[in-house]
Amino acid sequence: MALRALVLSVICLLPSVLRATVLLPAEFREVVNGSDIIAYGRVIETRVEWSDDRKNVDTLVTFQVGTYLKGGPGDTLVFKVPGGTIGRFRNVLVGAPQFSSGDEAVLFLNSRGREFPSVFGLNQGVFRVSIDGDTRRRMVMPPLLARGDTPEVVVRGAASRRSLPLETFGAQVQTVLRENARGVR
Amino acid sequence: MKRGVLPPLVALAMLVATVPALAYLKLGTRIGSTTANLRWTNQPVRYFITDRGTTGVTSQQFQNAITASFAVWDAVEDADLSVNLTGLTQANPTTGDSMTVLGYQNRPDLDRVLGATNFIIDTTTGEILESDIFFNSSFPWSTDPAGVTGRHDVESIAVHEIGHLLGLGHSALGETEMIAGGRRVLGAESVMFPIAFAAGSIHDRTLKEDDIAGITDIYPSMQSRRTRGSISGKVTKDGAGVLGAHVVAFNTRTGAMVGGFSLNNDGGFTIAGLEPGTYTLRTEPLDDADVSSFFDSSLNIDVNFGVRFHDRVVVVAPGSGTRDVEVKVTPK
Repeated sequence: MALRALVLSVICLLPSVLRATVLLPAEFREVVNGSDIIAYGRVIETRVEWSDDRKNVDTLVTFQVGTYLKGGPGDTLVFKVPGGTIGRFRNVLVGAPQFSSGDEAVLFLNSRGREFPSVFGLNQGVFRVSIDGDTRRRMVMPPLLARGDTPEVVVRGAASRRSLPLETFGAQVQTVLRENARGVR
Repeated sequence: MKRGVLPPLVALAMLVATVPALAYLKLGTRIGSTTANLRWTNQPVRYFITDRGTTGVTSQQFQNAITASFAVWDAVEDADLSVNLTGLTQANPTTGDSMTVLGYQNRPDLDRVLGATNFIIDTTTGEILESDIFFNSSFPWSTDPAGVTGRHDVESIAVHEIGHLLGLGHSALGETEMIAGGRRVLGAESVMFPIAFAAGSIHDRTLKEDDIAGITDIYPSMQSRRTRGSISGKVTKDGAGVLGAHVVAFNTRTGAMVGGFSLNNDGGFTIAGLEPGTYTLRTEPLDDADVSSFFDSSLNIDVNFGVRFHDRVVVVAPGSGTRDVEVKVTPK
């Protein structure tokens, strides 16, 4: 009985540890145009915080920016993702990205007046960068782009779904930004 | 209590931190060095419903839709599972109050999230102590039996979220297409597919075989242990195990599909809860989604390989498992 009371007293102070979601998906142009900040860089620190009402836990991620493709608040930026680990409890929003120091990514963030920006569409604004084992080049999974008005089925395993060099990915982002500036759909 | 001042018990708990893990079909939580499936050990699963509707949905309509959604899972004959509506409450979901609560919350910050499920787990035992589901009232909702164009169906989203509450992870059994302005779901063979159908669809009110296999795997009845079977094996590439390959078992008689993933560095996979019969196996990479919808982000999921059909039909017998199936994939 005492043990149960002890456990419950902890539970009352701690956030949930797992979450799962149903998402509305965005096309890549929407991701680009709906983001205030687009940046390539590396995670240098993560810090877990209680939400203001102490009923949730968020992780503040400090990101050292190598290149801004849109926006540009400074050499580093701090953004917030839901969840984090406190004590033996871990708060996870399934589908929400998790970060560790050293992670490299191209991030699409929006702030909407909040103190810390967040990732576009929960996880749809994270494109992780990996190092190709053979060429040592930095690679990114290709975005899902609609081509014109003709529907195109997304085919898993297709040869076209290869990782892109980071520079090529960045050029695709720039193309979308230029299209948007010209008012091209 | 001021922020940053942890009670001594919490501080002590930090010294024995453990990490929950996710797996395809079944959510898991780490207990010490092992990973246990997340499941309700005390049944019936008792839940409350917030006594509050939202625009277009009255409190009574919401209650009816939630009750019907639980009944969908409760009706799976081969799963040893029972649920019970304890009552209505003014409490919000997502608060750590030792009550399992389903209700609306306004979360404009989660601008593309229709609903979400929380758990509170005793990580020393893996026991679920509480789970909450919120429905994002930033979106338009409906409980109309036929669905309403432009409004999301409470029951469809609730069936998905309750699947999580019962311990199921996401399924990758869905097909999408890109069109100007967005990505559209063409079809899904599981209500646990994480991308929503267009608003107005009531597609996900009905469980598919993938969902039934999953819930039966988590809560097997005595009967299902005798009548259902499994397929296990490994996915390899150039002789090495592939982590995160999506393996789909296709029943050649019924056409039903049940999916699973290779979940270790050896490429090992198990698809359980299968109806007896003959199956073909298709293996594909998860290269069209953010893998964090399925796996812990720390895992190095391999998506650099092409689709592969296993070269033999696999037979699943009642109450037994077909093992040592090896699917060899090749790089793209």
